[in-house]
This record gives sequence, structure tokens and C-alpha cells, in this order.
Amino acid sequence: MSMLQQVPRNAFVWIIICLFVLVAPHAARLPIWILALYAVAAIWRLQVHRGNWSCPTRLVKATLVLSGFFGVYATYGTFVGLEPTVALLLIAFALKLIELSYRKDAYVLLFLGYFICITQFLFSQDFLVTLWGLVSVTLLTTALVAIHRTGEQEFRFGTIRVASAMLLQAMPLMIILFFLFPRFGPLWTVPMKNHTAKTGMSDFMKPGDVASLSQSADVAFRVKFDGDIPDKSALYWRGLVFSRIEEGAWSALGFYDLPPNQRRPKEVTISGDPLRYSIIMEPTQQRWLFGLKYARSETQAVIQTSNFLLFSPFPIETDFMYTVNSWTNVVVDDVLSDWRRKTETRLPRTGDARTRKLSVELRAEAGTDEAFVGLVLDKFRREPYVYTLRPDLLSDQDAIDEFLFESMRGFCEHYASAFVFMMRAAGVPARVVAGYQGGEINPINKTVIVHQFDAHAWAEVWLASRGWVRVDPTAAVSPQRIEFGLEEAVESEGSFLSTVLLSPQRYRRIPALNALRLRYDALTYQWQTWVVGFDNERQFDLLRRVFGETTAKAFAVTLLGGLALVMLPFAISLFFTRELHPESRLGKHYRIACKRLAKIGLVRAPGETPSVFAQRAAKVLPDYASQLWQITHLYNQLAYGGAQTPAGNAAQNLQDFARITRRFRPKKQGA
Amino acid sequence: MKNHALDTKRHSKGIKAQINIRFRGWIKRRIPPAREVTLDQRRIFIFPTRVGFFFATCLLVMLLAAINFENNLSYALTFWLATLFIVAILHTYANLAGLTIRALRAEPAFSGQQSKFHLMIKRSKRRDYFSLHLKWPNSSGTLINLLDEDSVIVQIHMAVDSRGWFNPGRLLLESTYPLGLLRCWTLIDLDLYALVYPRARASTDLPGLTTNTPEGAAVVVDGNDDFYGFRSYRKGDSLRQVHWKGMAKRQGPLTKQYTAYADRSVWLDWDMFAGLDTEQRLSHLCYWLLEFDRHGHEYGLRLPTGSIEPALGEKHRDRLLKELALYGEERRSQ
Repeated sequence: MSMLQQVPRNAFVWIIICLFVLVAPHAARLPIWILALYAVAAIWRLQVHRGNWSCPTRLVKATLVLSGFFGVYATYGTFVGLEPTVALLLIAFALKLIELSYRKDAYVLLFLGYFICITQFLFSQDFLVTLWGLVSVTLLTTALVAIHRTGEQEFRFGTIRVASAMLLQAMPLMIILFFLFPRFGPLWTVPMKNHTAKTGMSDFMKPGDVASLSQSADVAFRVKFDGDIPDKSALYWRGLVFSRIEEGAWSALGFYDLPPNQRRPKEVTISGDPLRYSIIMEPTQQRWLFGLKYARSETQAVIQTSNFLLFSPFPIETDFMYTVNSWTNVVVDDVLSDWRRKTETRLPRTGDARTRKLSVELRAEAGTDEAFVGLVLDKFRREPYVYTLRPDLLSDQDAIDEFLFESMRGFCEHYASAFVFMMRAAGVPARVVAGYQGGEINPINKTVIVHQFDAHAWAEVWLASRGWVRVDPTAAVSPQRIEFGLEEAVESEGSFLSTVLLSPQRYRRIPALNALRLRYDALTYQWQTWVVGFDNERQFDLLRRVFGETTAKAFAVTLLGGLALVMLPFAISLFFTRELHPESRLGKHYRIACKRLAKIGLVRAPGETPSVFAQRAAKVLPDYASQLWQITHLYNQLAYGGAQTPAGNAAQNLQDFARITRRFRPKKQGA
Repeated sequence: MKNHALDTKRHSKGIKAQINIRFRGWIKRRIPPAREVTLDQRRIFIFPTRVGFFFATCLLVMLLAAINFENNLSYALTFWLATLFIVAILHTYANLAGLTIRALRAEPAFSGQQSKFHLMIKRSKRRDYFSLHLKWPNSSGTLINLLDEDSVIVQIHMAVDSRGWFNPGRLLLESTYPLGLLRCWTLIDLDLYALVYPRARASTDLPGLTTNTPEGAAVVVDGNDDFYGFRSYRKGDSLRQVHWKGMAKRQGPLTKQYTAYADRSVWLDWDMFAGLDTEQRLSHLCYWLLEFDRHGHEYGLRLPTGSIEPALGEKHRDRLLKELALYGEERRSQ
């Protein structure tokens, strides 16, 4: 039994490969000491493998386990949450490897490995991550096969073939189960990702925030329109509304900052056909969603705020898909409440005196709010303002004065902030809106890809009878930004994505690479809609489309069909494996010939040699005598011939024999 | 109360025994004894191992994780592994299917010692067979792979107990390859019997020893042999008494002769141990038989069932031992 319980050396090598493959996708999230632990575990294992070191004693093991727990607590401050849990799992895997000596340890280790594979998907369900998961599962399964190959004491790459074949055979039924298994909601609340950095917009904006976001080429979300894609310059993806300015920074009002009667969105009279589109957000760990004005969503759990923004009650931790209807031309907030008016015109008591003075003057000169907006935009357009990713650093005091009258260099948040400040200084309700502007159209699948560098800030001004109106001062300074995007707008500066060297976005000027990138993005979109975003609504749609209404029966048929699909190829290969001994096939062909003779009354007696039988048969069937002799002669030669076997290889001879016997169709002859 | 407990115990034991008998009957009908068995679906059983159940539990936890995190790729991975489990049924089955087990022979042994059973495992399909574990109920296990060779000869040692024909019971051939989640096994009766000689048991002397010489004098068997001379080798002479040195000098095979017993033959008689029970008698006869053989005596055997004339040699010895082994047992052709 001891041999059965040992882990062959081949398996050890595979397990060590698994170790590194499993930790790789988590590496960026993990504290450095866990990675060090992995290196130690691998070295220790190799030394045990070579016979230089021994397995750890019980005391050493206990110490390692305790310090693992301590380390996790020291790093994360808690054991609750996804990250500490995954860290503990990974530590368990490394430590288990050190003490691995029996097969039962190996089972625990490898099943733990499958678990770690799953945790990897909780962080990202990206296509590449999935491919990596595929590799991990294959390697783990290979290791599982290897521990059952007793006696293999050196590394065999061929082991992976068995595992891959089995996994491939398992695919069809997996796909069927995936689409048919009912999706229900969580059974209980689970630890969330508390330690993953939030990405994208934040609910707090000071000058320079959007500019730094613009250095990232990550995708924020992808949009698929039901109809034509509107003009790029109309794509203002609203995400956050900043109504409060304090110490030079803009912030959003929280739900409880609003008086109770202001918390619900006002009714908006809609008219005309909306723009219909669906958005798949990349995880942000934040709760705001994006949409064009005026957006309503039919997706469950998407809330509309009093600012007509879309909002999710839970943080977006995985790819999140929602559908939106937008009416871009309707009037929102045609009547402004007193509280709202007061809030949206509030400014700090002091500071930026020059700006305030200028605003009052311009407002007086303009006569109406609308004309005032025009005058301010004119100022931006006429005077030498520069749109730049590298604005000057502004002082804390009178920053807007300094920007408007001295540096005159800024990014969108500078212009939006200064513009809203001027509006409010003249008593016109205005606020800063943050979100994304534009996007890249993927010609392959007609989606709009919105990147982080499309982050933008603009203004909304409340005008009597028109409600909240979007005004983008950046468009006045740099029309290219709105028409073509950031890259073109700051082209002369060379600052676009200057800090990220490896982003494929940097190489979009190379057509082949760009085509590849867009193709991959289209694949990602398909992946997100069909695999990652597959939920009970989509499942219901799919089932109805495939089966119509009679689902129960069709369900069973599909499941059984899937099972057959899984089993069939294997069963075929199992039952049609090449037979080992050519002699037995020889015998088979000879028996066929005998059977045909038996049908016409010539039965070979038991013990009768082929030659004797042939002699007897030839007398009865003189017409077939030559054929009979040929078959008998060949059979004798091939079966017993040894040295007399005719030249040529055995397979060829066997084929010849088979052909001759096939053609042999004796008919009864009249005596 | 106590009585009741005892009753139930006996009762449950009865049920267990009954199930055992039923099972034996069923498996005998299903896989009848044969010298050669080729494994097919009639003869192969399959069931998840404990590891398999552990794996299933892990899958359940994974499924819970997938449901609670509403994570589709976790669903996919869980289903993939679950389907892998199903596919493993076929692969585990295939690791036994098509194997032929042939009983070659069983070496005779003395009661209380180990007999050696020779089996041949042969494949008929060109595929690799891994980790085939062979075991009889009371034997040590043997682990084989069929990779480069098409057949392997396996020797299994097993302690034999009572005199006569010993059947090792049903051979267990099992395998959990490739994943260890499922165990495929078969229980085959190879119709293989080992001959078990009686346990040799010394007695202080040999009472009423008779020889076939006219003098009828008792012979003291003390092993104090005096070398007498050579005679030419006859077939059946003990190899121990062959004059090997002479052979080295090309004198032709000669057999050494010893004075004390050179021309006397001894009869080992059933009646020598009157008063003892059958097994003890056989044990003592066996001991003396071996003693005489060791010293190169000619010896014969007289049993109530018949007698064998004195002779020498290994064949003679084995024949006599077989007589002793099968005394009172039904004969079977082996």
C-alpha cells in the first residue's frame, strides 16, 4: 500500500508548476512577503525532492501557520473580506506544499488549487484572466493525473495530454450546464473586496484630478447602441454632479445632505423616441453609473438620483451591465426649488475677488443669463487660454483668479470649475458635472469604448424655461477635444499617455496592431455580454428563443443530449481502439470466410486444419478452388509461416488478406 | 436487557452474514471461476472513492461561492470540474476494461508459510494502463503498470494455513487512475489452487521405525553419517549428494553414499504415531519425511489409503508430500 500512497516525482514537478501559475494572477494584489513565502516553499520542496533537506517538523509547521495568520492580520487588519481570505488560501497552498509527502496531502493541495482558481475570477472575469484560469485548471488536473501514475520518477510532459483530453471531453456538458443552470440571487451576503483600490471618478474633485485620470488607458465602460451611434461630440456621459465648493475643491452632495423633500428625482415629461443603449461597466468599486442626459434605466437595482444620475445601491465589483433609455432634448428641472437655487449658487464667502468682480460686470453687460453664458465662453475663446494636460501648479489662495488671469493654462476641470464659479458669482445657478466625454468607436462590433482618458468635467447651467443646460467651456478653448478626443487635442504637447509605456493605445497609429486591439476589444465585449454578464434575464431570453414555451421537456432533452455529447467521442475511442495483435485480426478475416462457407453448408469441423478443410471444400466447390487455396495458403503463411512469410510488412499482408477474404463470396453449386 | 442486546447483536451479525452469502452467490453467478478472465462491463464495478466524495463537497462549496458572488466564471469552472468527474467515470473504467488476467500457477508451500501465486496480466488494447492494484483478501498488494509491455507476470505471496488445496479467494483488481475520484474494481475467482503441505512438526524419536531389510533393526537417525563411497548418479538422487567436486574433474556425475543408510530403506508408517490425531500424525510424518530426504535416505510412505514404495529424489519427495497434504481431502486435478 505504501507505494500507492506515495507521490511520484513527476507529480511533484507538476505541482510546483501549479504553485507559480496559481499565484501569478494574484501577485499584483498580494503583499510582497507572501510572494517570498512562495519562493521559500518552492525552494524547500525542491531541496526535499533532491534529498538535501527534510520535511518540516510539527513545531516548524505550527510556527509557519501562525505567522501566516499573523502576517495576514498585520497586512489587512482583518480576516474578513475577499483579499485576506484569498491571502490565507494562498498561504495554505504554499505551506501544504512544503509538508506534502502522501497522496492524501496532494488531494487537499490540488482541490485547494481549484479553489484558488475560483477566487481569481472573483477579482476579474477578463478574457485573459479566463485563459489563465484555463491553463491553471489544466495544470492542476495534470498534477492530479500525475499523482496516480505510480512509478514515474522523472518529469513527463506527456501527462498533460491525458488531462487536456479529459477536460476537452468535459467541455460540451459544461457549456450546456452553464447556460441551463438556474441563476438565483446570493443566498447570503459574502465578504466583499475591501482592499481593492477604487478606480475611475471619485465624488471629490480638485484641480488636477481629471488630468491624472487621463493618464490611464484602461477601459471605463463599453456602450452598445440599439440604433445609430450619435455624434461623438454629443456623447457626454454624466457620472457625478458637484454642487459644493469648499477650499478650491468640488464635491457631490450625499443623499443625506439633501432635505427630505428634495431627495426624489422630479418628474420629467418625456417626448419622442429615446436613445436606447446598454452599458457594461468595468469594476470601479464605486456606486455611480454613467448615462447620457436624461437617462432612465430598466435594469433592476439601478436607481435614479435627484440630479438625474444613475446610481447602483452596491459597489460595482465585477463587470456590470445595464440598459439605458436617454431623452437628450427634454427639459429637466423646469422649476428650480428655493433650496436648489440656494445650493447651486453658493460660493465661499471670500477669495477670488477679481473673478467675482468680472462676473458681476459681464452679467450686467449681457442682460440675460443666456447671453452671460455666451460672453464667458467668448472670453475663453478669444483670450489665449491653453488646454493642456500639464497645467501650472496653482496656489491655495485665490486659485481661480490665478488661473483666469495669470497662468491661463488648464485642463477641463480648471475651465469647468472657473466657469461655474463665474456663473455662481453672478447669481446664476450652475454646477460642475464629471464623467466621460466621447469614446472610441470600434468598427468591428459598433460599440463605443470609453477609456479613462476620456474623463471629462463640464458645467450645467440652469436657465429659465430651459432647465439645466449643458455648457462645456473646454469646447470653447479646445474644440478638438470634443470633436476628436484628448489625443488629438494635446498632440503637439506629446503628453497623451506619456506615463504608460506598454498600453496598446500608444500604438494605435500602427494599423495592424490597432486592428488587433479592436478585434480583441470586440471579443471582450462578446465575452462580457455572453459569459460574464449572463444572468437570469438573459437566460430566460435564451431559453425562450431556443425552446419556445415547452421548457421542461426541452430542458431534459438538452441535458441528456449534452451528456451524450460528452460520452460519445470517448466511447467511440474506447471501443474502437486498435487491437493489439494482428494475428487476431487475421483470425477474424479467416472466420468470416469460414462463415460464408458455413452458410452454404460447408462447416469446418473442430480440429480440422485449414488445409484439410480447403481440400474438402474445393471438392464441393470446384469453381472456387483457386480462391480457397489462395486464402488457405495465405492464412497458413501469415499465421504460422514465420520465415516463409512473403516479403512486405505485416500490416500490408494483413490488408491483402482482408481484401481477398472480402471478395470471397462462394455460391452453392449444383452437384 | 443484556439478553436483548445480545440478541440484536446476533441478529445483526446474522444479517451481515446473510448479506455476505448473498453477495458471494451473486458475484459467483456474475463472475464465475475461470482460469482466465477478460474484464468487460459485466465484471467491472465502479463507485466514487472517499476522495471523490470530498471532491464533490468541494464542488458544492464552489457552487455556493459562484451563487453568492453571482460570478459566472466561477459557475463555469464548477460545472467544468463536475463534468470532469463524469468523464472520469469512463476513463477510470477504461483503465481496467480489456485487461485479461490469467492464472499461471501456484507454488506449493508448507502450512504456515507463504505460497507464491503467479498471474499474468495482459492487455488487448493499445493504451497505457496505470496503477493496477492486485490483492487477495489476505495477501500483500502488488502495483503494476502496463506501458511498454503488453503483458506482465505478477507474483503474489500469501500465507497459507490449513493443509490441502488452498484457494486464495477472489482476487481484487482495482484502480483509481486517472483522477482518484472513482474506484474501478473487479473480484475474480481465478480457479487457482495452491497445494499446502502439512506443517512439519518434530517428534523426539521415531517410534516403531521399520525398514524393509530382513534384519528389521531399528535405525537411529541422528545425522551422524559416515561417508561410504560413490555410485554413479541415478535420476532422482538428491542434488545434495551429488559429488560436485568430482564433476568438476570431469568424472561424470557421482552420488555420495553414506554407510548408515546406504542400502536401507525406511518406511514412514501412519501407525507409527498411533494415538495422535490425524493432523499431528501428518505433521510428524512430514517432519521425518523431510529429515530422511535431507539425509539422502530412501523412504517410503504407508498411509491407510495406500502405500508408496521407498525411493529417493525431489520428485519422490514432492509426491509423498502431496499424499500427506491431500490425505483425507477430496482429490482434484491440478
